[in-house]
Amino acid sequence: MNVLEIKNLTKKFSDFIAVDNMSLTVAEGEIFGFLGANGAGKSTTINMIAGLLRSNEGVINILGKNAAKNSRFAKMNIGMVPQDLAIYEDMTAYENVKFFAGLYGLRGQELNERVEEALEFVGLQDKHKSYPNSFSGGMKRRLNIACAIAHRPKLIIMDEPTVGIDPQSRNYILNSVRKLNEMGCTIIYTSHYMEEVEEICSRIAIIDHGKIIAEGTKEQLKSIITNTKDLWIEVKSTEKVNVESIKAINGVEAVQIDENLIKINSDTGVNNLNKIIEHFINSHLEIRSLQEKAPNLETVFLTLTGRNLRDQ
Amino acid sequence: MDFWIIFSKLALLIFIAFTCVRTDISHISWVVFAILLYFCLNITLNIFKRISIKRILLLLSIGISITSYFEINSLFILLLPFALIELTADFFNKKIIILLISIVPIININEALQPLYGIVTIFCFMIFTIISVYGDRLIKNEEQMDSMRKTLQKMTKNLNENTEYIRQSEYTFKLEERNRISQEIHDKIGHSITGALFQMEAAKRLIETDKLKATELLQNAINISKDGIENIRLTLKNMKPPSEQVGIHRIKLMIDEFAAKHQFKTVLTHDGNLDIITPIQWKIIHENTIEALTNTMKYSNATLVSVELKVLNKMIRVEIKDNGSGADKIKKGLGIIGMEERTASLNGKIIVDGTRGFSVTTLLPIHS
Repeated sequence: MNVLEIKNLTKKFSDFIAVDNMSLTVAEGEIFGFLGANGAGKSTTINMIAGLLRSNEGVINILGKNAAKNSRFAKMNIGMVPQDLAIYEDMTAYENVKFFAGLYGLRGQELNERVEEALEFVGLQDKHKSYPNSFSGGMKRRLNIACAIAHRPKLIIMDEPTVGIDPQSRNYILNSVRKLNEMGCTIIYTSHYMEEVEEICSRIAIIDHGKIIAEGTKEQLKSIITNTKDLWIEVKSTEKVNVESIKAINGVEAVQIDENLIKINSDTGVNNLNKIIEHFINSHLEIRSLQEKAPNLETVFLTLTGRNLRDQ
Repeated sequence: MDFWIIFSKLALLIFIAFTCVRTDISHISWVVFAILLYFCLNITLNIFKRISIKRILLLLSIGISITSYFEINSLFILLLPFALIELTADFFNKKIIILLISIVPIININEALQPLYGIVTIFCFMIFTIISVYGDRLIKNEEQMDSMRKTLQKMTKNLNENTEYIRQSEYTFKLEERNRISQEIHDKIGHSITGALFQMEAAKRLIETDKLKATELLQNAINISKDGIENIRLTLKNMKPPSEQVGIHRIKLMIDEFAAKHQFKTVLTHDGNLDIITPIQWKIIHENTIEALTNTMKYSNATLVSVELKVLNKMIRVEIKDNGSGADKIKKGLGIIGMEERTASLNGKIIVDGTRGFSVTTLLPIHS
């Protein structure tokens, strides 16, 4: 079942087209990543999905129902973690979560249980009575997440949830994203940190200038660019290197010798690392260092758009 | 059909009435009573639809004619055959049996009436048979006509639908053709005229100071205009453009021409296996490049334009990028929309970026 279906979505701010005829589907159980530079249209798209912005054209279906016509249903099934923190500094952590969960109609015993559950999930169960102004950036982000998940939504949208926080909190958040996914939530994750998206997302859309320019799994996206990777092996001396016999190894496309460096270009679809290393050992070549130069999402983005993700 | 039966019965009644009046019988009131009774029964017969009531009424009129035969006047027996025929017609298919049954009472009636009774029976039988035969035929014909009417209706509906479909497709073709022509005019003729205009503007400025140069520019403009006219002719005649050099050479030629005519340098680079680019993809690359170069010429004040063609593993990427003023906000004009539509027809995407100079990137998927 598709949790989210977007058809021909367009959003204009006067002359500026922020989202341009975008179509995509997110199936249940996916962690779907929106990868794009600042201003590419990620947040605009997300705000339209969450019902915070109206589109100029196009349809958004949440769990098979038109979100514009069933806005209450759509909102009940979406948990939105906004990029700008949406927590009240003058309420305790507990009150914050309770407030947001209450907006979704939770009451009484159930409300208290869900609030406890959400706070425990983000690891703030000891900070019940603390005010957010005493929190670190990472804790505020976690509280922000707790506010969005207490009503147990099917679809959780996280807009840059790791901006400006310490690595520890970042790992905690990434882990909780995985855990939420294991619990059955579908997640839409936007980031301009390529490593995060590459690490947790099952499917990724590369967005630029309001358009999806490529979509698929990490492997599919990388295979758009190339189906080979480079292996750079530094040896003590290249005298004994037999280029032809390395080329004979399954998957190896080209071999190049550059001083002490042997550059092996090989098919990404074949796992031949063992055989290559075996060959070096059998040839009594002393390996000094070994580097794999496989394309990453950054390369994919750069190659397709001509710009770096963090360029402005 | 019923009308003729009623009419025959009426004729019989009139015959009986007249005969009774002529023979001047004594108890005329009883005769009138019997006639009216019979009349009523046979009228009601036609009112009821239920077959059982009809049979009861028929039996009653048989009773009346027999009783009247014995008690009032022997002529009333003449009313018997019709009732008998009508009653038995429902039970027997063979006409001859019906005739035999209705003729049987002849044995029991008085001798003077026997011939008359025989004639009347045959007369009634004939009328009844004719009516039922033609009635059946009528029903059959009506049914046939009904089914034909239905077929006709279906046909008309089909015809209407087809006409509508033809109208629709005509409309679609018109739209497509109009689209093609407007695109063609914009892409080719528009560009020629823009080019010629630029040359003429320049000539106007130079005409006082440097006549030679001005003449040269005017000659250029004339040549471009000639090309433009040729293009119009080709477009209007819907002729395919002559098969020129294809692929990268064609792009190179076009870029060089652009550089020769205008005040900017061009660089063309390519990477990857160009052989897998299909003719239709080349066409789109070519048209998008012309479009992007024209835009650069019109708006950018650029001094350098680079065209980069990369064949990746599963995608072709063409970027036309200038070092001009760019644009913060990009307004989609006919040109950009044209590029988008062309590219989308091959499932490709266009990225237009105006943040550092102006760049148009065409991404086309490779289908293996």
